[in-house]
Amino acid sequence: MFLLSFIPDSFLIWAINTILLIGLAGTFSSYFIRFIPPLYPYAGLVKTLGIILLVAGVWFRGGYDVEMEWRDRVKEVEAKVAAAEAESKKANTVLQKVYVEKIKLVKDLQVVIQERIVEKEKIIDAECKVAPEAIDILNEAAKNPGASK
Amino acid sequence: MRILMLVPILLLSGCLATAPVTVKFPEVPSELMKSCPDLKQTDQTTKLSDVLKVVTENYSQYHECRVTVDSWMEWYKTQKQIFESVK
Repeated sequence: MFLLSFIPDSFLIWAINTILLIGLAGTFSSYFIRFIPPLYPYAGLVKTLGIILLVAGVWFRGGYDVEMEWRDRVKEVEAKVAAAEAESKKANTVLQKVYVEKIKLVKDLQVVIQERIVEKEKIIDAECKVAPEAIDILNEAAKNPGASK
Repeated sequence: MRILMLVPILLLSGCLATAPVTVKFPEVPSELMKSCPDLKQTDQTTKLSDVLKVVTENYSQYHECRVTVDSWMEWYKTQKQIFESVK
């Protein structure tokens, strides 16, 4: 059936239908040939060939229909995959947009916070002196424990 | 005889099974491919405001990472739904 994909569909169906019709004609005509005396000796041969062609035609026709059914299913799945890929891209665009907006909010808030620290710097530093040990502890806590040294 | 050797090859070619439809793995937005940076370290200082600046910067970094993780979860959920619709 794999080789059938290299043959044009129109030629394939024409060839299969021809085999089927010749087989059908051969099988039925063999019953009438015996009534025509000059053709009587060939009746058996025509009947045999007719049956062989009829069986082959039916077999090919079945194979062709199955092949076409598979091709239709492949086309259907290809269309679904293409739609899913387009939908995936669209979802990514929406996600990217939302992500950028959220990050902007975080950064904007950070700017406001930093400005407030600068603004209140004198008040914050007025009555507090940070011990070096506190900085060490803070830095220790900020280190990534899983990071390679 | 040599020509006859081609017959099995021709017949066996019918056994070739190639997947006619392939589904590509969905692309991930480049923004999500960045890993979270390490937290900032505080320079030795006695000023609380300097410490506060670093601490709030680290808070901000956490929020950015949280947005990234949330986006990854959203991306997975959406792409899974889309993938499952192709059946």
